[in-house]
This record gives sequence, C-alpha cells and structure tokens, in this order.
Amino acid sequence: MIDAMDKAAGLSPDDALFSARRFRPEFVQGAEECLLSVLLPANDHGLAASLRVALARRMAALNADQALMVEYNAQLADLDPTEQLLALAQGATDLDEPLATIARHVDLITLTPNKAEASDITRLAQAGLNNPQIVALSELIAFVNFQTRVATGLRLMRSA
Amino acid sequence: MISSVRLKPLTWHPHIAPVELSEATTEQLDAMKVTPSAKKVSEYVRTLVHDPESYVARTVLFNAIMYVEGGLARPDRELGALGASIVNGCKFCAVVHARRHAELTNSDDLVTALYLDKPEALGPRDAAIYSLARRLSAAPSQATADDIASLRSVGMDDIEIIDLIHAISIFGWANRLMHVLGHAESG
Repeated sequence: MIDAMDKAAGLSPDDALFSARRFRPEFVQGAEECLLSVLLPANDHGLAASLRVALARRMAALNADQALMVEYNAQLADLDPTEQLLALAQGATDLDEPLATIARHVDLITLTPNKAEASDITRLAQAGLNNPQIVALSELIAFVNFQTRVATGLRLMRSA
Repeated sequence: MISSVRLKPLTWHPHIAPVELSEATTEQLDAMKVTPSAKKVSEYVRTLVHDPESYVARTVLFNAIMYVEGGLARPDRELGALGASIVNGCKFCAVVHARRHAELTNSDDLVTALYLDKPEALGPRDAAIYSLARRLSAAPSQATADDIASLRSVGMDDIEIIDLIHAISIFGWANRLMHVLGHAESG
C-alpha cells in the first residue's frame, strides 16, 4: 500500500526504492503514526485540523516542496477553510491574531531554527497559546520539516 | 598537531513549565513509559508530554531510527545527527551526539575536526555523510543527486542511505523541539 511518504516522494510499488524503504517497517509505520499525531490527533488541544493542514502547506512551500504543496492544498480544500486559513496556507503575514504570531513562528523555526530564542515562546504565550498548544505546534513544525527532508532524500535517490 | 576536543555534557531547561508527575494524566503517565534513547524521564520528556500523542509517536520513531539493528553503522547515524544539530543550532543535541560518536569510535578525531571547523580533515566516507547532513538540514533544495552519488561512491548501499536520510531528518525534528522549547547550559 502506498503511504503518505511514498506519495510525497513519488514512489510506486514497482520502484526498487519502494521495496528498499520497506526494509525498515519501523520507519514506514513510524512516519505514518507521527503524521496522524500532528495532523489528525485524537486530542487536538484546540488546534483544528484545518489550521494544522494550512500550516503544513505553508511549510511545504517554505521548503520548496512542490509535491507536498499539492498534497496539502488538496487536504485543505476538503476541510472547508476560512479565508484567513487559506491566506495563512499561502504564506500571508497580515493575518488576525493569533494566526499572525503563529505564522511568524512557523516561518522562523522552519527556515532558521538556529535563531530561536526564549522570547519566541513568550510571544506564542502572549498570543494566547497554552503549553499543550505550544508543544503541539512545535511538533507539527518539526514533523513537516522531517517529512520534507525524507521525501527529498528519497527523490534524490531515485534520480541519482 | 592539534589537541583533541573533549566535550562536556550540557543540561537542558525548558522555556515552559513541564508537566509535574503528581499532576500528570493517566495518558501522560503511560506515554512517559517510552523515552528517547531509553533514558530517564527528563525535563525534556515532561515538557513534550503536554501533547502525549505526538510525544509517543515521535519517540518510537526516533528510537527506531537511531538504534534499529543492521543497516547503517551507529557512528554514521550519530554523524548524521551531529551534522544536522550543528546546522540547526542545537548545541545540546550536538554535544550529546558528538560524545556518542566519540564513544562508539573510541576516537575524538572526527569531533575535533568538526568543532574546529576543519571538515577537510574527514575521510571520504565521513565527508560524504557530513556533506549530505549539512545540505539537507540547511534546506532540502540544497541537497543534490551528487550528494547521493558521493555516498554510493564510498560503498554505501540503498538501505544505508535510507537509514542516513532518516537520521539526518529526525534531527531536523529533534533540534526544532530541543532548541526551540528550551536552552542548554554548561554543567
């Protein structure tokens, strides 16, 4: 069965790399479980799936990942997003709060994690995020940055 | 002859209040039965367990990527982790994985070369691994098919390269937790 990572990397069951990936069922299963835990968790801590997918789309673009942009655009369209969430997904910065603060944080941590400071977490708290939301947001940001790197690596293996 | 670099472990403190064990829910207590590298329930674990679902899913994947049997040699996984941690600015993770690399290889040579910013001192295999780690971490678009070709030219097979891509990428994740949600201090 094709999973989200195969789809992102453009792998089909007749690719040698599709089988090579399955030498590590722990990684295949693990990445899928992680995806569900950050995009469709049982307890979303008040961060709705539409917000999570919109942020994933934004980060796919920051990582210049065309395949994941297409995927997250399609997922977002199915979630009946508001204008604000569509703008957030497409990279806008002039957003209502707390979306503007969340967008700033997502961009900073995706592109320049080395520049993160304690004050960045204070900003999230001041925008109204509680501790579970700050952690859930951090895990979502970190996951998409993981996903784009694995997908990129697999694509390069196919082309090399 | 340059003297070798010996790194001391750092301690990590969160920017937000971690979950107190006395106040943890049953789900959070169950989640903390799994810990990264099978270590104790640290402040880091108690911080992440604010969201137990993502904590468990990520920790299980992290432990598989770093410790699963066969495939890429452990020191090579640690080098991937170290290269990512340097680029992503996570001093805590860099020190942990530099020390593990030194322990596993019984040598401080690689860590010394990287901490003194002399990557040209690395052998061809380490250089190929470190180069992919840096590029893929900085931005996925910086990594190229030539990086994969370099790994193949030093004898790495597809299973090992897939393991390496995961080791680098899981630190694109771990660094964005550890360096963002807290800070490292000496001693």
